[in-house]
Amino acid sequence: MSAVSPSLAPGDENSDHQKIINLSEPLIRLEADFDGSVRFGKRVLELFSDRINVLENGATEFTIPLTEVRSARNEPVVGGGRLELITTSGEIVPIITYSMTVSAKFSEVARGIEQLAKGEPLLINVKTERLRCANCNRLLPERNGVCPACVHRGKTMMRIAGYLKPYRKQAIGMAGLSIVTTFLSLVPPRIQGLLLDNVLLAQRDLGMLWRLMVVWALALLLSSLVQIANGRLIAFLAGSLASDLRASVYRAIEFLQLGFFDKKQVGAIASRVTQDTDRVWGFLVEGVPFLLINTLLMVGVAVYLFLINPVLAAAVLAPLPVVGLMSMVFWQPVSHMFHRVGQKWARFHTQLNESLTGIRVVKAFAKEDHEFDKFRTRNLELRKAGMEADSFWYTIFGAMTFFTSLGQLICWSVGGWMVYRHHLSVGQFWMANMYLMLLYGPLQWFAQVNSWFSRAMAGADRIFEIIDTEAEPYGDADKHVDISGEVTFENVRFGYDKSNPVLKGLTFTAKKGEMIGLVGKSGAGKSTTINLLCRFYEPDAGEIRIDGIDYREIALQDLRHQIGVVLQEPFLFNGTIAENIAYGAPGANLEQIMAAAKAANAHNFILAKPDGYDSMVGEKGAKLSGGERQRVSIARAILHDPKILILDEATSSVDVETERQIQDALQHLIAGRTTFAIAHRLSTLRNADRLIVLDKGAIAEIGSHAELMAKEGVFYNLVKSQSALNEIVGEFAAVGA
Amino acid sequence: MNVKEINLFYTPKDRLRMTLGESQSWHTVKPAWASPLNHPNHYLALLNGKSEEIVMLPDPTELPASSWAALQPELNRRYLTAQVEKITDASGEFGATYWHVVTDRGERDFVTQSLQENVQWLGIGHLLLTDVDGNRFEIRDVEALDARSKGLIERII
Repeated sequence: MSAVSPSLAPGDENSDHQKIINLSEPLIRLEADFDGSVRFGKRVLELFSDRINVLENGATEFTIPLTEVRSARNEPVVGGGRLELITTSGEIVPIITYSMTVSAKFSEVARGIEQLAKGEPLLINVKTERLRCANCNRLLPERNGVCPACVHRGKTMMRIAGYLKPYRKQAIGMAGLSIVTTFLSLVPPRIQGLLLDNVLLAQRDLGMLWRLMVVWALALLLSSLVQIANGRLIAFLAGSLASDLRASVYRAIEFLQLGFFDKKQVGAIASRVTQDTDRVWGFLVEGVPFLLINTLLMVGVAVYLFLINPVLAAAVLAPLPVVGLMSMVFWQPVSHMFHRVGQKWARFHTQLNESLTGIRVVKAFAKEDHEFDKFRTRNLELRKAGMEADSFWYTIFGAMTFFTSLGQLICWSVGGWMVYRHHLSVGQFWMANMYLMLLYGPLQWFAQVNSWFSRAMAGADRIFEIIDTEAEPYGDADKHVDISGEVTFENVRFGYDKSNPVLKGLTFTAKKGEMIGLVGKSGAGKSTTINLLCRFYEPDAGEIRIDGIDYREIALQDLRHQIGVVLQEPFLFNGTIAENIAYGAPGANLEQIMAAAKAANAHNFILAKPDGYDSMVGEKGAKLSGGERQRVSIARAILHDPKILILDEATSSVDVETERQIQDALQHLIAGRTTFAIAHRLSTLRNADRLIVLDKGAIAEIGSHAELMAKEGVFYNLVKSQSALNEIVGEFAAVGA
Repeated sequence: MNVKEINLFYTPKDRLRMTLGESQSWHTVKPAWASPLNHPNHYLALLNGKSEEIVMLPDPTELPASSWAALQPELNRRYLTAQVEKITDASGEFGATYWHVVTDRGERDFVTQSLQENVQWLGIGHLLLTDVDGNRFEIRDVEALDARSKGLIERII
């Protein structure tokens, strides 16, 4: 982080002023991707310690001294943003427009301008980001991410191969067996050839027939045994590798910062655990051995053909390059077309899924025909794409078959002629014919291997991207700090998206055992405050202290062990009620669990269930009602015995009677713990010692509700606006008055 | 509100202001399209400094010519969605698609990921592409593009 004091630059009005300033370097220089007429281009912002310069084509467009600037902001526009200065006279001056690609950086600069304008030190950090691949200059899908087109395939390959290490013996064994398989597959044609020449057509040696049959039988037996052994090895390797890969990806995901999950959908993350690992092990276990076998086979067969007869070999191999070329050329469009069919299927599924899930709405609005129209459109799309892909494929396939069969035709024409002329024995001809058949299989396989390989490598990259992503800073796991519960926020600033700060300098102290209510309109920063307290995110600036020490010095898991959370939509895991209550305190016995449940007013409803504490809650707790789930989650928090407790809208999703029961349960929970409670229904907070009223990311008011009501400020207005809507709040307002 | 009486102008140079006849005045005005994708060039709202609607103009060209002209630079600055005129290149590799396009705002390179989510058909032949950063590229009518551009779209999407 750069910290430059504006006082370092000369600020007095002497005659050399301009000259000295010109010599000084800008503190920050940032390029926007739109020009002054809002076309794609280049416009540069330079921030000096005393002024702002905007340049276009190397020439200064205009300069504003910082003394004339009151503040600066990023005004979001559609597809980007623009930097606006608010001058001391109150004018808003838009100075530069930029796309979403760089808007976060400009928003950071806006903060920097404000800091300088206020005479504070410049405390922002505008990192240079890599937008393009240094190697091939392609745009990167993710900033500073890997370039999917030119990740070092070799390097990635080596890294994947690293997963084979624990199974080195099996892998080598598999390679060995592959070679044996290849050689054994060359045996039968050779025997057939000898048979023809030495038994059937010429010497009529019956003894040789039996000898050859024994060899053949042995080869067959051995080959089957090798295949069984190989198959078992593959099964073992596939299973082990797949589970190793999945485990390492899942473990890495678990420790990732929450910010990662905000940006990606759960489905996309899950697919890295399932699909991407599948591709990788699939390639390792099924791809690599075939690569080996097929290469050996092709080389072996070609060499053998030439040994039999060079002329015949050259003739029968002639169509081979054509087939190879065709496979390579047409593979791309064919796979494209099938990819498209896949996409149409996905759209079809989405449509089907949506209309079936919403069937009640469809019926209620009598929109069956409308839905059928949509269905039919998707269905026709699918038909069209499928027909196109299949027709194309069969056409290409037909053409390829022609060329592969051409090899046979040539073999019979040239070979037949050579046998007739006694240049070649019948047995040799037969061998050549059989070997030719062995050749075309691997050839078509090779045409696809490149794309298979690419996909596996792309999957591997996505896996390694996760494994390499910085994990949350967990800290020293062995160090244990006993928290007593005093929480201090000091000038805490934070934004999920750096271009849009949510908390703008929060300062307050919650005493040990105090209950603090966080109040404010939605978007004021209540949940964000909680997120920071749990250290799901860390402040961009400022400090959060617990018992006077910076909470980043407390090991993460240690900290979270001592913080308890009750959420609006409590998440229960599929399991029994007892297991869910004991989630934060594994090893708790049933008596402890029951005590917690009693305190949470949950004991009675649990006993009423046929299986009592052993009742399954279902997926996400679906078998319990909302109020029941909430009380189980309160029991969970009670048993967890946290020093700091967070109630995030804990009662907003239940009816009034259930709320009363939950409120009652919460009283047991809150006792003696520092508590932060967010509630939309302000009545819920009537027991809070103090209320912190947030407005647009800053503290508007702090005080007990009686004080705040007497003050008739922001809180008073919130209560008033709610009491118009809600009788309960009216009752609360009466209490407050 | 009489549309013909709406007077839009800049004072000072970057602030869009509005007066209605002799009676009313707003010192900050923001234009906002109500349905920029499905009803382009129609339904323009004028918002005040608090982003509250002052008036909705179903057909903004009914404004006095000088007001309509004054709106143009502000609209141009607020809607950065580029209109694609020509696709010079588009290739898909490993889940990412690389584009090079010529738009009404000049040439641009961009990358899209997961086409399923980031390519939106807004109507027949009407496409909206969103790149990895959230920048938008609109094709109002695919059929109106040249053959090569159409071919690339057909192949990729």
